[in-house]
Amino acid sequence: MNVQPDLEFIKYLKSAGGDTLKKCYQCATCSVVCPLSTDSKPFPRKEMIWAQWGLKDKLVADPDVFLCHQCGDCTAYCPRGAKPGDVLGAIRAYAYTFYGWPSGLAKLASSSKGLPMLIAIPSVIIFVLWLISGGISIPSAADFSAHGYQQFFGHWDFHWLSKNVFFIDIIMLSAAGLAVVAAYKGVSSMWKGMEENAGIKSAFRPSYAQFITEFLWPSVQEIVQHTRFKECKTNLDRVQGHLPLMLSFIGLFIVTAWSATANDVLALIPGLKFLHGPMSVWNPVKILANVSAVAMIVGIGILWSNRSRKEAENGVTPTYYDWFLIWEIMAVGVTGLLAEIARWAGLAAPGYIIYYIHLVSVMMLFLYMPYTKFAHLVYRTFAMTFERYRESSFGKNPIDM
Amino acid sequence: MDKKYCAYICTGCGIGEALDIEALTKVVTSEMSMDCKDFFGLCGSEGRAFIEKDMSENGVNTATICACSPRVMQNEFNFGDDKITIRANLREQVIWSAGAAEEGKEDAHKEWLNETASDYVRMACTRAKKTELPEPFKMETLNKEILVMGGGIAGMTAALEASKAGSKVTIIEKADKLGGKALGWAKQFPTKLPYAELEPNSIGTMVAAVEADANITVKTNTEVARIGGAPGDFGVTLKAAGEKSEWDAPAKVGVDEQDLISKGQMEDPNAGLKPYAEGNPDAQKFGAVVLATGWVPADVSAYTHLGYGVNDKVVTNAQFEKMAKDGKLSGINSVAFVMSPGGEENDQDFPYCNSVTSMVALKQAKYVRENNADAKAYILYQHMRTPGHMELFYKGVQQDDGIFLTKAAVTGVVAAGNGCTVTAKDTLLGEDLSLDVDLVVLAAGMEPTTKYESSINLAYRQGPAFLDLDLFDGYADSHFICFPYETRRTGVYTCGGVRKAMNMEETIDDATGAALKAIQCIESADRGVSVHPRSGDKTYPEFFMQRCTQCKRCTEECPFGALDDDAKGTPLPNPTRCRRCGTCMGACPERIIGFKDYNIDLVGAMLKSIEVPEDDEDKLRIVIFACENDAYPALDMAGMRRNKMSHMVRVVPVRCLGSVNMAWVRDLLSAGMDGAMLLGCKYGDDYQCHFVKGSEIAAKRMENIGDSLSTLGLEPERVRSEQVSITEYDKIPKLINDFVDEIVDLGPNPFKGF
Repeated sequence: MNVQPDLEFIKYLKSAGGDTLKKCYQCATCSVVCPLSTDSKPFPRKEMIWAQWGLKDKLVADPDVFLCHQCGDCTAYCPRGAKPGDVLGAIRAYAYTFYGWPSGLAKLASSSKGLPMLIAIPSVIIFVLWLISGGISIPSAADFSAHGYQQFFGHWDFHWLSKNVFFIDIIMLSAAGLAVVAAYKGVSSMWKGMEENAGIKSAFRPSYAQFITEFLWPSVQEIVQHTRFKECKTNLDRVQGHLPLMLSFIGLFIVTAWSATANDVLALIPGLKFLHGPMSVWNPVKILANVSAVAMIVGIGILWSNRSRKEAENGVTPTYYDWFLIWEIMAVGVTGLLAEIARWAGLAAPGYIIYYIHLVSVMMLFLYMPYTKFAHLVYRTFAMTFERYRESSFGKNPIDM
Repeated sequence: MDKKYCAYICTGCGIGEALDIEALTKVVTSEMSMDCKDFFGLCGSEGRAFIEKDMSENGVNTATICACSPRVMQNEFNFGDDKITIRANLREQVIWSAGAAEEGKEDAHKEWLNETASDYVRMACTRAKKTELPEPFKMETLNKEILVMGGGIAGMTAALEASKAGSKVTIIEKADKLGGKALGWAKQFPTKLPYAELEPNSIGTMVAAVEADANITVKTNTEVARIGGAPGDFGVTLKAAGEKSEWDAPAKVGVDEQDLISKGQMEDPNAGLKPYAEGNPDAQKFGAVVLATGWVPADVSAYTHLGYGVNDKVVTNAQFEKMAKDGKLSGINSVAFVMSPGGEENDQDFPYCNSVTSMVALKQAKYVRENNADAKAYILYQHMRTPGHMELFYKGVQQDDGIFLTKAAVTGVVAAGNGCTVTAKDTLLGEDLSLDVDLVVLAAGMEPTTKYESSINLAYRQGPAFLDLDLFDGYADSHFICFPYETRRTGVYTCGGVRKAMNMEETIDDATGAALKAIQCIESADRGVSVHPRSGDKTYPEFFMQRCTQCKRCTEECPFGALDDDAKGTPLPNPTRCRRCGTCMGACPERIIGFKDYNIDLVGAMLKSIEVPEDDEDKLRIVIFACENDAYPALDMAGMRRNKMSHMVRVVPVRCLGSVNMAWVRDLLSAGMDGAMLLGCKYGDDYQCHFVKGSEIAAKRMENIGDSLSTLGLEPERVRSEQVSITEYDKIPKLINDFVDEIVDLGPNPFKGF
């Protein structure tokens, strides 16, 4: 391997929570205490020296970086205070920016300097669309109680598509669409890099179905069950936050999918018009939505307090990368719930303002998903998938077997 | 001095209960014709008062204390310089080593115990009779100035420290100015917390301090031609650096070589030189010498795969330091520091590499980075040694973004473009590496000057150099356990890089120690007492020259080269060079060498005083000559732990096994005793002998005596020499008891009763 250390990469890692990375002296205590590290490819010792040597290309395509669940055992036991857990976090943050597309947006999302811009983009877009939609008015109490936020972007009587849904779709589908494309591009180039580093030739590949059933689906199951997360014993309190949070996202995904289908498709069918919202509080979907919203706030609250405690007690470095997502999800959850409360209370003006903020925060969540810590959703999933893949017969040269 | 004797038996510590004090008293009064008194607890203030009263009222001046080991209670039983005190070790080596009686043999056990105690009392009383009060050797003239050879950090520190203590010092330096290797440093290692930043070179301050010191004379462009004489009176001939002189120290010419030279079959290596024994009337006088000639960078051109000497982009650490000092680092953006020559199965560093070369690599990596913020420095090591606080320096360097460290076996350096490509295996990165760099720096080791030349240039009979330095890879190290700075030439102390690779701070500590040693040596010479390891000993070997046969054994065997000789081969003693080990006394076949309190006659008489029972296989007598430095204390410790030792052995303490004259062994066997063992320190590459050569010489003598015993019809197995270390007290009883068993199997000495 011809080595060309990347000094800028080292500088970035040092600025993004990995300021201690150069302290490592390769004793491998970290790899020994890590509950997730494997016997054949132990981490994070090797990642530490790669980071010290500025070997960016190796690290961004190293699945082990994403296998880490950052329990902090390595950091707690490190005899030199090199904080391997924090360094791996910084590497992940770097990887999201590295794979991010478009790169300008990814860069913007990578540091706190970009935060005003990150907030400004959706704020302006939504506000402009609100102006364009012509819905610029605070509804009367009666309208508010009848329609809730369903006429935020105004109302037309066009039967097949409500005006509100039209605008929300423009905003959210394009944001989510961009995120999906970006995530796809990022994950596929990471996958390519991982294959290259692992020496896997692409001549012998699984079919899509095989790929999903043998590699992707078991990883998703593992993630949903949090089995690996729970292996980090010190992480059990984080699991208590992460599990409800993840389930709430799944719940809200179901709610959103149902609402879209019910509002925009099924309700169009004559006779099923009652499916159009707003829903009653006792509607099972609404119950799921409310339970999920509470679970989201509770989950993120637990993660929030855990992180604060770890930073205070265990010397974990506070980073923008970690806190952005916590604030972001908290904002989504709190504004969503407050908007609902405002509706019940019939407070139209405050409700509309909160709803606006809610839309902004949701758009931020979607739009910046591939570049912020939220990206672990896809990158870790595919890293875990790759781990299965490289251990399978596809990952090995059939001649050697 | 008219000696008046009295033996005092202590009945404390269980001695009174275990032994028949009345019978012991009778041994003293009847056999030894001395007064004898007993007292409970002689070492207490009342006991001491009891003896002192006896001394003042009855004029006793030679006391035989029959109590504990001579290694303990030394102050309690010191009655002043005008009194002689001899100790009989009844506690550790008699009652504490006796063990429990075998069943049914309680009476015999008691009898044996009293016999052993009686013999120790007899030996002590005999020794008291034969010991004379020592008179220290006084030199006619004594010079207290210290000569420091070498004007680097070590030499200058030694000079400054000696000056602070009030000594006059002369520094001689081969180069044209003071400073030594440090003059070439661009920067120096950090010396204070947090040990992070390199410091500006501070050698100028030290040079200025030396030059401003009124006690210090500096002679640059100067070398030592030869050093003759002895501590307190060294005669040093100086010469201009690099020139030849008729006073250059002559090489050692042995008897055989001299023979060849006289026959014209060999060239005289000393042609044109004054004989070693000839004193230069113009020589400058010094009291002691500190050797601080330092080190030279090792040659690394043998490692052809690294391209040194062929590829101009491959330099040594010494050359790189000069480049940095001269400000010639521009355009150098990446440097690989290669700490080990590598190869497939070799994790050795370059020869003579050490912690200093490790730290130099760290320092020089900092130069690369300080010169250019985008530059990269790679350190490829097998061993990174950063002792003490320098670990903080290592941590600090490691923190630098552009310094990359890995353990690696470097496999090659090839020229590539304007620089080189370095390849390495077995790295911490888990892969083989290739690095494109502008420059490769090899860690050349630090070779002591004494590796190639004598440096000290002594005009001694045993030659100009320190002996056996190959044991220490050429470092001027005596390997005296726990005694740094010492050499095998009394009055010559080494410090700094010539003794051991060390950094500036270590060197300063080292040189301070050596300076104090030099002062101590001069003061000891002034008082006529020995230096380490028999510090303060007033005795010295005296020669009865009329009977000398010029056999040269003493001059050859003296581990410290204390004896010169005249043209005929008669030894010329230099008492201030002498360490008082007695190896000459052990060597002398004519038995003409001895000390006031330790000589052939004295020990011979002690041996004769041992009672040898006839016709009793349970009462064989085996003498153990135990070295006072390690073996004797180990025997004491065995006693303290109540390890049982055979009742047939009698221990005789000796200064060093080297002082054991084979006449004693022959005499004791002809007196009917059954065996003899020499118990001394380990010898060989990692010797522990306090006098370096004593136990080794003794072992050789014992081999020879074995042959002559068999011609007398005695089994050579009756004599043996064994090596023990001071910590082996747990093994000693078995070692001795096994030997006793072997002698018992051989049966009693057939000469018994003749």
